[in-house]
Amino acid sequence: MNAFEYAAPRTLDEALAVLGEHGDEARVIAGGTALVTMMRQRLVSPGYLVSLRGIHGLDRIEAANGDLRIGALVTHREAETSPLVRERLPVLADTFRRVASVRIRNMATVGGALAHADPNQDPPVTLIVLGARLEIRSAGGRRELPVEEFFRDYYESALEPGEVVTGVIVPRLPAASGAAYVKFLPRTADDYATVAVAATVRLEPDGERCRTARVALGSVGVTPIRARAAEALLAGQRLGAELLSAAGEAVEGAVDPLSDHRGSAAYKREMAAVMTGRALTQAWDAARASSRGTR
Amino acid sequence: MGRGAGFVPRNAVTFTQECAIPVERERLWDFLMEVPKVARCVPGLETIEALDASAYQGSLRVQVGPIRLSLQGTMTVEEQDRASWRARMRAEANDRRVGGGIRARVSLTLAPDLGGTRLRIETDLAVLGRIGEFGQPVIKKKADALLEEFAQNLGSKLQQGG
Repeated sequence: MNAFEYAAPRTLDEALAVLGEHGDEARVIAGGTALVTMMRQRLVSPGYLVSLRGIHGLDRIEAANGDLRIGALVTHREAETSPLVRERLPVLADTFRRVASVRIRNMATVGGALAHADPNQDPPVTLIVLGARLEIRSAGGRRELPVEEFFRDYYESALEPGEVVTGVIVPRLPAASGAAYVKFLPRTADDYATVAVAATVRLEPDGERCRTARVALGSVGVTPIRARAAEALLAGQRLGAELLSAAGEAVEGAVDPLSDHRGSAAYKREMAAVMTGRALTQAWDAARASSRGTR
Repeated sequence: MGRGAGFVPRNAVTFTQECAIPVERERLWDFLMEVPKVARCVPGLETIEALDASAYQGSLRVQVGPIRLSLQGTMTVEEQDRASWRARMRAEANDRRVGGGIRARVSLTLAPDLGGTRLRIETDLAVLGRIGEFGQPVIKKKADALLEEFAQNLGSKLQQGG
């Protein structure tokens, strides 16, 4: 690992000022699970590290205006076990539970993992179908960006130099809705997904037909991918084998997997269709249960 | 390393790319054979200098996600066949800081096209060492992005009267 300066500011403003001063040369560090590994391999050699760990207020999970706000320094393990997340959005708690191993989840932060923009991660796809927004701060101010628009390319995000992810805001699921996260993991339990799919289904008042659906996939492209063509096929329809196979086909057209040791591009493409069918079925079942509960 | 088929390791990625350059074939060919000139159209190229009539050394900066590579190496023109509008070259370059490098063999073919020339680029590319572990999955996509920019640069340079 190359030598670097280390700053441990106590406030966010202080951190943002340091980042503004050092620009490209500085990297933000939180849990360090991704960055330290890359620094050890000398893939990245920042001259300046700005730690967020001493900053108060970024490690909270709170309910605000019906939304759930998860601070950037909340660890994956905290998000997974939080009573508030479990009660409001069990699918999100379940998604965090599927990340790597407990040891990593105890260190890796929610904001840090999103900023890393690794296309193989679990939380982004679930956050995308839930319509979550990122809260981003810089010395110049604050902005919000839908998680869906945050990922630009392989490990590249919309984050500008001097900007920090400070939290993620997740809306409630509407009434008569269900959500599911399916991680296809044929190797080991702590591996990255071979294919990951998150889906939400919102039903019409009849409790059977789909009003809107959202589908997003991970590990099948250089960024997480939202399958809008598949979503459009689902609107107004009843769940059935034909519909799921049509949605699967649309998903196959939307993904662009890379061949690697987890499988060939063709295999992943096919699995993306299969896993989409499973995620939609689970989400649909959950939506029916939710619909019965509200009538 | 020799000139034989073993220059590019067996785990290389092979791909073919095409782009349209809006100038006639003769002019594009003459331009492409002037290596230092054409090198300036390569995105991220920092330096290039001739070692002899067919070999050059230079440096190239490439960014893959959070990783900034500074590749130092040589490029050798192996074949220039104007009769069949074909040229072939090989390149090897390393990044000493990250550890790793690239080996590539590139063939260019020029064919007439509506209002210009179709440039076909066939590449055997291996990415070695740590860079390879991280970057192997996206080599093709990165190469496509570089070619697109290269073609644009080439087109505008030639239209300016390059």
